Amino acid sequence: MDSRQLKDSNAVRSKSLLSLHGVQKSFGSNAVLKDIDFALNQGEIHALVGENGAGKSTCLSLLYGLHTPSSGDIRRDGETVRILGPSHAQDLGISCVFQELSLAGSLSIAENIFAGRAPSRFGVVDWKALRRRAEALLAEFDLALDVTAPVDSLPISTRQIVEIAKALSLDSKVLLLDEPTSALTPDEVEALFKVLRKLTARGIGIVYVSHHMSEIFAIADRISVLRDGHMISCNATQDTSQTQVVAEMIGSAHPGDVERSIDKLGDVVLAVNNLSQDGHFSDISFQVRKGEILGLAGLLGSRRSEIVRCIAGLTQSDTGSVTLNGQKIAFASLRAAMRAGVGFVPEERKTEGLFLDDPLSANLVSSSMEKHTSFGLLNAKSIRAASDSAIASFSVKTRGPEEKIGALSGGNQQKIMLAKWLERSPDLLIIEEPTKGVDVGAKFQIHTELMRRAAAGMAILVVSSDFPELVSLATNILVIHEGRISGSVAARDATDDLLLQMAAGLPSPTFDQTQSNAEL
Amino acid sequence: MDAALSTETTNAKTGLKRVFKAFVDVRELTLIVLIVAIIITMSWLSPYFFSAANFRAVAVGMTPNAIIVIGMAILLASGGFDLSVGSVMALSSTVVAMLLLDGMSIPMATVCGILLGAVAGFSNGILVTALGINPLIATLGTMSITRGIALVLTEGFSLSSLPADFAWIGKASLGGFPMLVLLTLFLVVIFDLAVRHTRFFRQVYFIGANEKAAMLSGIHVNRVRIIAYVLTGMLAALAGVLLASRLMSGTPTAGNGIELQVLAAAVIGGASLRGGEGTILGAFLGVVFVALINNSMTMLAVSIYWQMIVIGGVLVSAVALDMLIRGKKG
Repeated sequence: MDSRQLKDSNAVRSKSLLSLHGVQKSFGSNAVLKDIDFALNQGEIHALVGENGAGKSTCLSLLYGLHTPSSGDIRRDGETVRILGPSHAQDLGISCVFQELSLAGSLSIAENIFAGRAPSRFGVVDWKALRRRAEALLAEFDLALDVTAPVDSLPISTRQIVEIAKALSLDSKVLLLDEPTSALTPDEVEALFKVLRKLTARGIGIVYVSHHMSEIFAIADRISVLRDGHMISCNATQDTSQTQVVAEMIGSAHPGDVERSIDKLGDVVLAVNNLSQDGHFSDISFQVRKGEILGLAGLLGSRRSEIVRCIAGLTQSDTGSVTLNGQKIAFASLRAAMRAGVGFVPEERKTEGLFLDDPLSANLVSSSMEKHTSFGLLNAKSIRAASDSAIASFSVKTRGPEEKIGALSGGNQQKIMLAKWLERSPDLLIIEEPTKGVDVGAKFQIHTELMRRAAAGMAILVVSSDFPELVSLATNILVIHEGRISGSVAARDATDDLLLQMAAGLPSPTFDQTQSNAEL
Repeated sequence: MDAALSTETTNAKTGLKRVFKAFVDVRELTLIVLIVAIIITMSWLSPYFFSAANFRAVAVGMTPNAIIVIGMAILLASGGFDLSVGSVMALSSTVVAMLLLDGMSIPMATVCGILLGAVAGFSNGILVTALGINPLIATLGTMSITRGIALVLTEGFSLSSLPADFAWIGKASLGGFPMLVLLTLFLVVIFDLAVRHTRFFRQVYFIGANEKAAMLSGIHVNRVRIIAYVLTGMLAALAGVLLASRLMSGTPTAGNGIELQVLAAAVIGGASLRGGEGTILGAFLGVVFVALINNSMTMLAVSIYWQMIVIGGVLVSAVALDMLIRGKKG
């Protein structure tokens, strides 16, 4: 604590590298940032937190020159600048790592790290120097990779490190990091933090955007909270607390855990036995009972998604069996699975779940058309009624059932995507990343609805990489690591750390699932 | 991707697997083997095939395609393509002929013809980048406009009786090799090396593989894409000038359908409409491969209509085979 206080008092005295002064940003009539003051000092890690839609991404976009402020100033080393675009930002010593990986998969690791800036003489790339410098950068992360291999051949977590190395290659004075750890294992996070501390010791300033409170409190010197486009607070880390930051983010007391109804689980709805798919997963066995929400936890690349997609009939297994309501089944297609009473809510709402250019109502009934069809014609009245009721029960913010779904916010889109499948009242609902990229309010409503359905007897299989979500939502949790079940635990015994440990494939106490099912 | 580097990564594998992977990864190897196989088979099947005269005819005949495929391969690697190349070739050949008939000097007329290609390419680039029109639609439009201009200027007739000196480029030879072919090979080698090793052209692959990532990496995406279109336009125009010189006439109907032949050859040579892939050497070998197949069928007296069916089949099977092999790899 002492050293941090010392460092912090240094930071206050040290000069500001990059700052926003009274910045406003509007898109059309929609004001996204209102009167923002923000300063990044030399050698500090400044965390920027807030719900989705609070304005964090817009702030980063302004600092990296992707947008220009509607009014107000950006200052670099105290001088007012107008940042014209990413390459101008880089010239000003600012580099950025985005949450969405921005690598070109077919090109080599080395070329990606120096994207478009490979060391060259008279315009001809110096491959040897490129290789050497890429290796040197990766060595900071204790990574010895063949830098001539294509990025496609790397696991996701390593790609994220390549992405960070790419930002470091610019030798910037300011580093903007947007959720840099979303795909990293605990060890890799630790390695990243070590590198970040090395960088700050050199006087580099880092803006760190993250949802992970524990990480922020472990690494940040100062924490700024954004809400609805306003800067709510900016405190030194030791002067605030996780509860305070969360309260500032959502603007009220924490909504608290949704009440769980796990009193009684019914018959087995889904039983999976030794399910395997070559090259993806093997020996997967578990059960889901009526009223149970079973969580499948795992890091990116753990293959949990392949497992549920196989159960839903999207791909075929090589060996093993699936039993639904006591009947052995092997779905040849999602259509077959749907007929048998399975619902499947995919992860990517924009590309897999919704027809963005179509109205809300059409999206809502897109997988239950037969319910709204009479004599081969769609029944507009019943579609209207279904839409109104979905809008009401999920409190969807929309101008009406005829509004294009693409115009809704992510949270509201997500609610409609879930409602679309609930329309079919499946016996088994498979749902991937139920609250990916949605705000706290929508998350709360989605969780409440899932728990309500489970209490009414639906069996639900949830895939999520958001461990706290599984801990608060699920009845039991299975952890997947590299295509195998690496552990299983009752949600009430689970903690984020335990799940993370199991997901990273570290040895941990395992609980016999059938036993914990029986206990409940 | 750098071919030499990517084969190195397999050093842990056994010899046979390594050879197989090299063939999958480096399309050029497969094509060279196929080309050699065609030459051997055909020499056996037809007495006229393996002769200097035949090779000369094939080589000269494919020069327009080989020059244009350089630009097309670069565009494909950047995630774009250009359907207007055949029209640009025709327009430049007619405009050069008109200028020469007007009494302009040969070098000046040549430069004007090539600049015209640059203007056509620049328009394509602006339509695709600044206006954000899909390359298929944009270049389909300019294909029609450019061809139309060539036809309007000449009222549909070919322009002949060009000054005799103009035939020099198209008909001269050096050490027994036609100048046209030497010039084409020179361009292929220069651009192949440039695309593999220069910083500017490496950016093209980033844009094709992930345009947004390229933008966020500080690459001037639109600038690079426009330059790629300008380059393609200039190469198409050069092909037009050379054609005019070889035929000693400006033909407004020249290069009809060449855009699809070139696109097919580039894809056979390892380029992809998804972008981010392909080399100039591969695309060039694709042109050679298709030209040899056409020549072989002519030698074997296969009707021209059957030739179309065969070329279509080759294109589809090349891509299908590639997807099957790569699918299994992943």
